[in-house]
Amino acid sequence: MSTQDNTLFEELCVGFVLNSITSEEEKEFKSLLNNATQEQEQLYQDMQSIASEMALLAYDQKPSESVKEQLLEMAWASVHARGGSANVHYLSRYRIAAAAAVLFLVSSLGLFFFNQNLETDLETQKELVVQKENTIRILETEVEQKSELLAILEARDVDLVLMDGLEVNPNGFGKVVWDKENGQALLQVANMPAVPTAKEYQLWFVINNQPFSAGVFAVNDPEKDNFFKIQELNQSASQGAFAITLEPEGGSPQPTGDMYMLGAM
Amino acid sequence: MLFFIISAIGRFLNQDNSRDKDLLRRIARKDPVALSLLYDQYNRLLFGLLISILKKKTEAEDILQEVFSNIWEKADQFDPDRGTGYTWIVSLTRNKGIDRLRSKVYKEQKKQSTSLDNDDVYHPLYSSENNPLEDTILSDRADMVRNALQQISEKQRKVIEISYFSGLSQSEISEEYDIPLGTVKTRMRDGMMKLRDILSGAEQ
Repeated sequence: MSTQDNTLFEELCVGFVLNSITSEEEKEFKSLLNNATQEQEQLYQDMQSIASEMALLAYDQKPSESVKEQLLEMAWASVHARGGSANVHYLSRYRIAAAAAVLFLVSSLGLFFFNQNLETDLETQKELVVQKENTIRILETEVEQKSELLAILEARDVDLVLMDGLEVNPNGFGKVVWDKENGQALLQVANMPAVPTAKEYQLWFVINNQPFSAGVFAVNDPEKDNFFKIQELNQSASQGAFAITLEPEGGSPQPTGDMYMLGAM
Repeated sequence: MLFFIISAIGRFLNQDNSRDKDLLRRIARKDPVALSLLYDQYNRLLFGLLISILKKKTEAEDILQEVFSNIWEKADQFDPDRGTGYTWIVSLTRNKGIDRLRSKVYKEQKKQSTSLDNDDVYHPLYSSENNPLEDTILSDRADMVRNALQQISEKQRKVIEISYFSGLSQSEISEEYDIPLGTVKTRMRDGMMKLRDILSGAEQ
């Protein structure tokens, strides 16, 4: 762009921002501005800035209060005509409501999942408690049984009868600790197979070839020693033998099944 | 680049600009509170400018209301990329004032103005001594412009001041002050270009 063209641009630019040129010159300037260089556009912005800064030199004059009153009256009327409330307030309320809704939704979902987790945890804990209670019950029963067995062993006068495994279970062995004075006995068996379904072992006291039932028991864990308390073994005989047979559940009046152990006094 | 940037008050200008932009954005969304705040910010300045152009208080008030009504209606047309909110508002005000000044009706009324003692008639172009506005920042900026105007030639200053504060066109200045139109254009251009250099720090 030539210096002359640039000078023309500057002249029209200054006249334009000061509103001092003719309408034809304004059109010419706008046309030039549409094809202006970056420097010319910057010049235009600078001139506009200078012109607006010059307004600061104007006298400080306060207009009548009625100007503002009428202006705001017009603005509020315009707002009411558009729908009853200012957009900004409407938007603010909308945003607040939207934010609250989102917050509520997120909180609800959070609480829902938190509650789900709590319920799952609660169920797990309940199951654990039941398991522990069962364990405690078992342990209490065992302690009770052991106490009873210990009471038999602590008796002043006991007879000890050893039993050996027979043909059906040659590795099995056991013993009977008999407290004759109190009519109680402690039976211990080892290497006995677990009892089949609907079957139980039955202990017999045999005297003069006559078997007397001393009770039934079941072996569930063959790996460990099994102790049983025989509640009533009131026999005064000093000779005889103990035998264990496999019988139907609940026991039999007479031995019917295989004999697993036998031991004489 | 711009004199605003290098001036000590540039930071405050940016704050003002940001505030103006925010208010104009709110006004575009039809927020009357924002309009009230913008009015409080600029009413005295713009009213003083309009009085210097129109010389009549009632006319200035009328145009001031029209200006803010226009801002209310057209705030969405403000383009921040093309200048500050302040520049847009002042430019709008001057255009409105000058349009009224040059309107046929106003010229007729002006002819009928009788006495210079009339309270509704103002004569000075602008405040040349005291701080024109209460706001310190605005006063600092006004001082900068006033000092810059003192550094250009009196002939240049005169055409610029008359054009700006009296709203006379170049041809009207030429006729009224008996200065060739080409000379008016040259003085105006040279004066404004020099103001730009001074305010940008190029001649300090």
